[in-house]
Amino acid sequence: MQITKFLLVGMLCACRIVAYAQINPSGSISGYIKDSNGKPVIAATIKLLNTSTGTITNGQGYYRIGPLKPGNYVLEAHSVGLGKISRKIQVKPGTDLISDIELREVSQQMETVSVIGRSEVRELNRQAYNVVAVDARRLHNSTLDISHALDRVSGVRVREAGGLGSRMDFSLNGFTGRQVKFFIDGVPMDNFGSSFQLNNIPINLAQRVEVYKGVVPVWLGSDALGGAINIVTVNDTRSYADASYSLGSFNTHRSSLNAGYTTPSGFKLTLNAFQNYSDNNYKVTTDVASFSGQYFQHQKVRRFNDTYHNETLIASAGVVNKPFADQLMFGVTLGQNYSEVQTGARMVSVFGDWHRKGSIIMPSVKYSKEDLLIKGLDLRITGNYNLGKEQNIDTVYRRYNWFQEYKEYPGQGSERERSMYKYSNNNGLGTVNLSYAASEKHLLTLNNVYNTFNRKGSDELYPESDKYEQPRKNVKNILGLGYQFKTSEKWNTSFFAKHFYQHNKYSQSYNPSGSWGDLAYLVQENSLNRIGFGLASTYFIMPNLQAKASYEKSYRLPETDELFGDLLNLEGNIDLDPEHSHNYNFGLSYQAQIDKSHRLNFEGGVLYRNAKDFIRPSLNNNQTKQVMDNLADVTNLGFEGELRYSFRQLFTAGINMTYQNLRNNTKYEENQTMESPLYRDRIPNMPYLFGNADASVFFNNVGKKGNTLTLGYNVLYVHAYYLSWPSQGTSDQKYDIPRQWMQDVNAVYSLGKGKYNIALECKNLLDNRVYDNFSLQKPGRAVYAKVRYFISNN
Amino acid sequence: MKTSYLHLLVAFFVFSLFTACDPELEYLNVDDTDTELTGVTKYIISATPIGTTGIADYLLTANSLKEGVITTQGNGLEQDGSYRYYITHKNRFFSMLYGQGNPGAVTSYRLDSTGTLTKLSNFQSETVQVFAPVMDDVLTIKVPRSGNEFASMFRVDARKYQIVGEKQVNIVQLAGNGERAHFTWATQVGDKLFLPYMSIKGKAPDAFGTAYPDSSWVAVFSYPELELEKVIKDNRTSYIGAYFNNGLVETENGDAYAFSPAAATNNNVPTSTKPSAIIRILKGTNEFDQSYFFNVEQESGGHHIAAQSYLGNGIFILQMYPKPKSLEGVARKFAIADVINKKFKWVTGLPEDITKTTTINNYSPGDGRTGYIGITTASEGSYVYIFDAEIGAAKRGLKVEGGTITAINALKY
Repeated sequence: MQITKFLLVGMLCACRIVAYAQINPSGSISGYIKDSNGKPVIAATIKLLNTSTGTITNGQGYYRIGPLKPGNYVLEAHSVGLGKISRKIQVKPGTDLISDIELREVSQQMETVSVIGRSEVRELNRQAYNVVAVDARRLHNSTLDISHALDRVSGVRVREAGGLGSRMDFSLNGFTGRQVKFFIDGVPMDNFGSSFQLNNIPINLAQRVEVYKGVVPVWLGSDALGGAINIVTVNDTRSYADASYSLGSFNTHRSSLNAGYTTPSGFKLTLNAFQNYSDNNYKVTTDVASFSGQYFQHQKVRRFNDTYHNETLIASAGVVNKPFADQLMFGVTLGQNYSEVQTGARMVSVFGDWHRKGSIIMPSVKYSKEDLLIKGLDLRITGNYNLGKEQNIDTVYRRYNWFQEYKEYPGQGSERERSMYKYSNNNGLGTVNLSYAASEKHLLTLNNVYNTFNRKGSDELYPESDKYEQPRKNVKNILGLGYQFKTSEKWNTSFFAKHFYQHNKYSQSYNPSGSWGDLAYLVQENSLNRIGFGLASTYFIMPNLQAKASYEKSYRLPETDELFGDLLNLEGNIDLDPEHSHNYNFGLSYQAQIDKSHRLNFEGGVLYRNAKDFIRPSLNNNQTKQVMDNLADVTNLGFEGELRYSFRQLFTAGINMTYQNLRNNTKYEENQTMESPLYRDRIPNMPYLFGNADASVFFNNVGKKGNTLTLGYNVLYVHAYYLSWPSQGTSDQKYDIPRQWMQDVNAVYSLGKGKYNIALECKNLLDNRVYDNFSLQKPGRAVYAKVRYFISNN
Repeated sequence: MKTSYLHLLVAFFVFSLFTACDPELEYLNVDDTDTELTGVTKYIISATPIGTTGIADYLLTANSLKEGVITTQGNGLEQDGSYRYYITHKNRFFSMLYGQGNPGAVTSYRLDSTGTLTKLSNFQSETVQVFAPVMDDVLTIKVPRSGNEFASMFRVDARKYQIVGEKQVNIVQLAGNGERAHFTWATQVGDKLFLPYMSIKGKAPDAFGTAYPDSSWVAVFSYPELELEKVIKDNRTSYIGAYFNNGLVETENGDAYAFSPAAATNNNVPTSTKPSAIIRILKGTNEFDQSYFFNVEQESGGHHIAAQSYLGNGIFILQMYPKPKSLEGVARKFAIADVINKKFKWVTGLPEDITKTTTINNYSPGDGRTGYIGITTASEGSYVYIFDAEIGAAKRGLKVEGGTITAINALKY
């Protein structure tokens, strides 16, 4: 049945191509669809009435229909929430008629439910996937980086070890670390290194950030076990400049510049540059040890070896709107970072000189073309290669304490592990995405992501170790095929399957004769194949009540250090299996409006995760190193809800809560035949109840007509959770991560229709001691100011 | 209407400000005055549930090791960090963190007059690989397996809970063969500190490999000065003890017996050509006694020694690797060794599917007959096994539910 349909579609296409060859000369229509604010309308439907011809607008709001037989037509543009407009047009032979359209919000109930806040990007939220889109443009005046913006999304917790640039642990519905994958404009960020990461990318780089929970669409090709984050950067064919600088507590300086310039002939230049600097010398309350080991309890001391800075530049140049390409851009990302290490896993381990460095040198190419050869066939290709390096420098033989005193020892030692180990992962990445919209109802997507890795490292302190540095290579390929079927405006369903392939090759040194210095290498190779699949469906019960359901069987392939070890404390295990999970989501969203001034938006969801074969460390045979193994099974039944209210364009408030019931599903631990005492216990050291609330008041015409003042308040609550298994030990003697209650306030004053912006923010208003990780205290009260200048020629 | 909204808003802010404040900090005050002992012994059992994340040790107390059940479910003092090690000295119990090279807190405990395990103090120590009671101190040694050429020795006063002395020793110079001297353990013999060591390459990826698999060494240090006096060496077996494993014991008459598993490797392959054996250092000689050699490997039919526990009067419980001529497998076998008379016999009554045993923290009253070892099996969980050296048999005693026994210690109150 389905095959017949495909064949039919194919034949129709063929006919159309034939027709194209016969009729000559023909004309075409193209144009730009915008909303009443001048913003592009993405995915608006354009139809020529009484014909079978139509299209949708691209990501920039542009459309093109052609070739067309010359004559008179009625052009109809339509977008959900923005109504319908039709206009008579005349297509002349050999010319491209330009027809720009402005779609206005019409006063049907559903379509006027535009709530201030996240639902700006509601087109995306209308997808069948469990996706939340954060409208980053609304946060461009704030001093947030992307990770902090994400921290306000339900189901997401970003746990930080310290201040700006510190190690962060992202969790999405209980999945952490590499189980959640990050993308920038659909390109996996796996290989970007420490210089271009979520904790240093300013929010101004992004137009929006999409959070896919559990089920990841096929065009984001990756081995994500528990979801994906896609950062969509500002991609405008217009010319614009956005410059900002912020100054704050702990000697924090951050600036960013985003500019784009497109000539009428289609030459485009973009530049993103940003910089972060902080001493991170905030005060912490901790026990301070003297050199005799005696502790002075609860001393308030400053951090002193925690400076972080990074500088990154992303430049690209290319052409847009050419017959051979909608976009062909060549770019390079250049960056570096420097990060001092203040503490170990506990605050009592304090360091004074240990630091890390990293760099990124990444050339990249992007190509996209819609309606390639035939109408509805879109192609997107990207590629990049990271030549950057990472280095760990620990060469000072001292022991520090929190009073910044130190004891120095003679000889070649270190604070923790003497090292100047420098490595480069030599990561290459290529993605191809091909989609074909056979008609309004059928959309086929084929996506392939190819990833290479060849780690090379050396340590100038131990040049003789080079001989142990044998090739450790791996190749990963993820091929996805998706099909979307849209029965009507009310109901659409996507099916997809992903094929995961990994090939590993490494050499293991061994001693063939047993005598000193006799080394030989055994080359080990293996590969694995897995198939994942899923579906997502959405149905509009009423125009303002949407139901969504989705499922995916997902995989995460083992990473290279898990496979090959780190030469130091981690032993390789080339026989690791991928982690896998069954992810289910069900959600409802509802919008309501009372007498045109009160608007209410509710979204709620239930999710279930059944994950198996988590890769976890255990001690190796002689207990001298750790080795990764497939050891743990986890389930999660989670509930999320978000409620937002707004009153005209004057006030908005929202609250979201997340509860996740993560349970240990490992009935028998390795080598045990007795049921584990931790079976079905709550997973420790993982927040399980948390939420955000925010409120903003908007004042128009403050000081001068057109100037606006926004006052905002945000509160984060994280319920206390145990460091170790809740069922074990006497409860009042257990270690926990205390509940967090963090309140931020901000004020933004915009002048000249948003051209000039001044923002003031105070974070952790009550100067609470807050911890995301056991004993690792985060900054107290901090004040930031930001100025921003934005111009656009549209 | 409007005022009620305002009230609500004000109430909300007041509420949030009030509830959002930090709780008061608690201070730990040391009360360490010695009280008169009643002569009762209480046992401190450390247990860890098997798991792969968020695991911690729990300290449980028991009045008897011979019978009963204790559990970590909702019971026990939680210890911070996945790997902890314990030592008892001068009637105080020390819980030490093994923190992957980082400094960490050591917590000391005592039994109060009612027999309750009470926290005394926290003090900071390095992550150490060796710790042993020596005179009035707990001696700890941080031994780097690669990189840094210096091992750091710390003397921690067992009643002041502070570092009272510190010394660096260059372990590459000490080894003198191009490798590193990696101390396996520390033992007070007479008034000296004896440190058996293994020679290791100390270079990735085969840090624990060696080119010298057929020698035993003990470095002799003065105490409390911690000056190296000499290195004594023997070539009849391999190194003494093992990583985190004590292989040298002083008996009542002042002789010291040294246990070699003959476990030296190169690129993870056992390379020692010598048997697993016991050798000795006679009192006051600071030399290996060439007239004494107890070839345990031969006596046992090819098994290697994995660990030892001293019961007194020259009687030891030996934990043996399960397969002859092999250093693999966790299901230990047990034997009794009379080192003075060079007698060896296997112990009966032990389970087959052993997954873990306690090695450095076992308990014996020192009667030359009785020993208590924590044994965990795949099918039945953890029990303290009571060993009777005289009849060469062991039987189950105290059951520990939830966690796996990692150490058994005893304190008096």
